[in-house]
Amino acid sequence: MSNTSSSSSSFVKTSVKQPYIWAIAALVLLLIINLIKDPSYLGISVNAVTGDLSGNLIDILRASAPIMMIAVGMTLVIATRGIDLSVGSVMAVSGAVSMEFMHDAGDGSLGSALMAIALALGISAFLGLINGLLVSIVGLQPFITTLIMMLAGRGLAKVITSGQNTSASNEFFRWIANGTVLGFPVVFVIGAVIVAIVALLVRRSALGLMIESIGINPKAARMAGIRPVGLLIFVYILSAVLAGVAGIFSTASVMTVEVAKTGFSSEMDAILAVVIGGTSLAGGKFSLTGSVIGALLIATLDKTIVFLAIPSSATPAFKAIVIVAICLLQSQRVRALFSQRRARTSTPRKEAVSA
Amino acid sequence: MFKAPRFRSIAGLALVGAVALSLSACSASGGGDDASGDGKDLTTIGFVAVGPEGGWRTANEKNIQDSFSEENGFELKYAPATNGDQNSQITAFTSFIDEDVDAILLSATEATGWESILERAKEAEIPVVLLDRGIEPNDTKLYTSHIAPDNVGISASAAEWANKQFPNGGNYVVLEGPPGLSVVNDRNKGWDEKIDSNLTKLESQSANWSTEEAKSVFETILKANNNNVQLVFAQNDEMGLGAALAVEEAGLKPGTDVKIITIDGTKAALEALSAGRLSFVAEYNPLFGDTAIDVVNKAIAGDKVESDIVVPSVTFDSPEAAKTALPDRKY
Repeated sequence: MSNTSSSSSSFVKTSVKQPYIWAIAALVLLLIINLIKDPSYLGISVNAVTGDLSGNLIDILRASAPIMMIAVGMTLVIATRGIDLSVGSVMAVSGAVSMEFMHDAGDGSLGSALMAIALALGISAFLGLINGLLVSIVGLQPFITTLIMMLAGRGLAKVITSGQNTSASNEFFRWIANGTVLGFPVVFVIGAVIVAIVALLVRRSALGLMIESIGINPKAARMAGIRPVGLLIFVYILSAVLAGVAGIFSTASVMTVEVAKTGFSSEMDAILAVVIGGTSLAGGKFSLTGSVIGALLIATLDKTIVFLAIPSSATPAFKAIVIVAICLLQSQRVRALFSQRRARTSTPRKEAVSA
Repeated sequence: MFKAPRFRSIAGLALVGAVALSLSACSASGGGDDASGDGKDLTTIGFVAVGPEGGWRTANEKNIQDSFSEENGFELKYAPATNGDQNSQITAFTSFIDEDVDAILLSATEATGWESILERAKEAEIPVVLLDRGIEPNDTKLYTSHIAPDNVGISASAAEWANKQFPNGGNYVVLEGPPGLSVVNDRNKGWDEKIDSNLTKLESQSANWSTEEAKSVFETILKANNNNVQLVFAQNDEMGLGAALAVEEAGLKPGTDVKIITIDGTKAALEALSAGRLSFVAEYNPLFGDTAIDVVNKAIAGDKVESDIVVPSVTFDSPEAAKTALPDRKY
């Protein structure tokens, strides 16, 4: 007993030191604000008609799943000193492929849903492969490469659906985004499992360390025998596949792909989630936990804005203020101002500059 | 060592000269064609468009493209905005002025910020016809004509329908497009002017014309108000359909528990209306290519053109009305 309590207290101690502690604080603060507005905010009830659990927390978990996916992919790409601006467009491509396929199949069967998912993820992986090849072998800047893919992907989605918003009906596909498993939304469960798999993959093997080493010092990493080419291709493919999953999540929720809207400016949400989670945009050390918390925070923020009935013209400003506040709290320079004990000589974190 | 580059530069100069000669020859012969063509030449039109946005926009831009066809004597240059970005529209507009096209059609993604570029078109004596979306401040001296269905009137008719449906009042929510668009301002204006004071506006949120966002926004609004919402005014069809999904998810019935009004009248919305998932659809007629041709021809000929032309639109208030209209719905 004492053993577990001491380990849990050390967990608390270590997480207090993490930069994402402020994201957690902001998350709690937002929930408290919502609670003040409506004391039953956190209540979860069983919907008498549909039989599903319903509540604001469930909605937040559901809304956070797509952001979580792209944020995790983005974390690994950023850790290699790269960036993936194409995630939003890959979401649109993946959604377009799956909707178009199920619309043509028209039978609404489980088989066509699985086939649509496989096709969507396959094409996403292919787009990621192009990103990876251009960055690692051709040596193009990640920013430019993925910017091109962002424009090309949106165009590709428009070509696939001939510029139309395409709907399909498929019970299984709809269930992915709207159903529940043991009371939890299916999207969140799938998302959490995928995050867990990625986390195991990078943290239980040397993969995470190798990705960090490329980001910290590519030359030293190469001299230590780490080949960047394969790793870079791997992270860009992973990021694109996760974006494909996010695209499936967001189109499945309404069973429509909106070529101009699906995943639009999602890359910004992903980058924000990564930065809020404490991963430096300069590459190197990364925190998947932080990015997941960042994704949850962004989803909560979006929902809070609606819940508090903040006028729509003021919402971008409200969002910006919350995020700037978190980034300021995370920046070491600002924290040093608060605690005089900390030595001023410590190098300021780069995200404070870029955020 | 010196010879090779010098030879190259001389060769280069010769090449430039040859190209220049052949080009001037080209333009000379082109001029000859012009003279002999006797006005059979195509009129060049630049279309600064919004690009794929939803069913309505696709129908509208396709109709414009089909109307300004080569058979009708036009060469239409179609320039959709990159992801709804005004900057990309201004770039396209500028290049159309530089190409000296005969007329420019503009569907602005943002209402403001067009003064200086319209001034330039005026100096170049290129008539500009605004399609659908207006500009702010609405200076009629800067453009030839504005062709659009009447947003204010359409949303006012929606508000009048709502007043009749809820004589004893109720709570309603507005789902609007991105703040700042002239469409959004006009649709709000018509609604706010006509809606009865015993109907209470709970919230007005932007869902960016998107089904997905509208669903997410409206499920939260329902929770924030304990499902005590009787009416949704969605400023386009896509958002209305998203709201209907959120209503169904909350275990309520769209049409009876929550009535949903949408504007645009696309096929998807009429199908939903005939299935009873929407309650009122106000058409925002996108098919005004013929009117646009008429206006452009008059403007090029130097005739006087009405500065504000309203495209007539109808409303659908019952599943039956939707069913009659569905078979020959073009968009």
